[in-house]
Amino acid sequence: MSKQQNKPINSVVIVALGVVFVAIVLMLFVFQPNAQSLNLGADSSTWGQLVVAFVTGITTGGLSCLAVQGGLLASSLAHQIEQDYVEQAGNKKKKQKATVHTNSAFPIFLFLVAKLVAYTLLGALLGWLGSYLTLSPMTRAMLMIAIGIFMIGNALRMFNVHPIFRYFSVEPPKYITRYIRRTAKGTDTATPLFLGALTVFIPCGVTQAMMATALGTGSIVMGAALMFAFILGTSPVFFVVAYLTTELGSKLEKFFMRFVAVVLLILGFVTLNGGLNVLGSPLSFENLTRSLVRSNSTSAPVADFSQSSADIVLNVQNNGYSPAILKAPAGKDLTLNLITNKTYSCARDFVIPALNVYQLLPDTGKIQVNIPAQQKGSTLSFTCSMGMYTGQIVFE
Amino acid sequence: MIKKTFKIPDMTCSNCAMKLEALEDTLDGVKEINASYHKLEMVIEYDESKLTDEQIIAAVKKKGYQAVAK
Repeated sequence: MSKQQNKPINSVVIVALGVVFVAIVLMLFVFQPNAQSLNLGADSSTWGQLVVAFVTGITTGGLSCLAVQGGLLASSLAHQIEQDYVEQAGNKKKKQKATVHTNSAFPIFLFLVAKLVAYTLLGALLGWLGSYLTLSPMTRAMLMIAIGIFMIGNALRMFNVHPIFRYFSVEPPKYITRYIRRTAKGTDTATPLFLGALTVFIPCGVTQAMMATALGTGSIVMGAALMFAFILGTSPVFFVVAYLTTELGSKLEKFFMRFVAVVLLILGFVTLNGGLNVLGSPLSFENLTRSLVRSNSTSAPVADFSQSSADIVLNVQNNGYSPAILKAPAGKDLTLNLITNKTYSCARDFVIPALNVYQLLPDTGKIQVNIPAQQKGSTLSFTCSMGMYTGQIVFE
Repeated sequence: MIKKTFKIPDMTCSNCAMKLEALEDTLDGVKEINASYHKLEMVIEYDESKLTDEQIIAAVKKKGYQAVAK
């Protein structure tokens, strides 16, 4: 996009849109009830997950998308602006300026709306596909690990660590890119709408990661909502930065891409770690650190060691499990009492991977889980279904 | 018509490949361009009587990339 093409964009419209979106972000943070983590895969609450998707969009997705799809918007916009100037050539200077501003903002708006609708539908489709894949916590764990690796791979690609990581970027088929490129030359009003919708075929790395997350939700509604929130988040950045990049130059753009890579790397590790937790892997961050500091953080034994079987109690709270480490007698059948009290986070989706126990708990109540006798010195890891909240039972 | 491969070492994403393939529409004598971010290269099929290597390299440079004939 050249400077000449950008100048007519009404700065008032850009600032107004920016203010509106920032206000939405603030509202989401202030009024949402249960967003307690920035874990991408965590459904600590539906609302929280959508906030994370939105924030991911507004912080990294917009810049990343812009690098891939910005050319399409610029191309169609250039024609629109050029057309506006030709049509208004006979007008008085002042009047011409105002008219052109309005017409320039409109194609961007159409482009972004079409993109939003297209990706929401794509999210619904991915969620629907994911519902067939989400057969068990194990499947979900494998998906999370794959998503995490994909994110980390993309971040390392952005850092140009090794040529192999370039294969984490999906190249759209040649006939699609050619078709999109040639469509971008259109000048009618429908072109920005059409191009916006076509961006589903050329998603950026962050968008691809979000698409994988939508797949992992296993729900049509959640998949659609997740993509909607993410693309909504990317829109203001897409809008504003498309305009500003020509002013700021490529050096600052490179700095932004580094920032995107760092955030993607962090989110990738968080998602991968969640998957390892759901698998019950001792290699997850929580299980590794717990092994190291177990002696300092163990709870007092709550089980009755004198009986042939024992009861232990685990409080399932919005922010995780308490106590995080339970001591229990070895060699005895065990009853684990799971207590919830107005618990709405993903901690309710209780999983013991090693025993293939999966229990969706009521928001308030008590559920008992029978645990067969375990050997002395062994441990059983438990987690929420997204690997966000974890704990261990230590048998002594 | 001849087919030639150019190394494009400074591609950073698949959009760079799209940008280079857009030269199909502007460079006279080009039949087809296939650019790959994975391989960091561009394969161009063109009429050598209408287009030279230097012109191709210059056109690529105009897009913001360096091209080196393989």
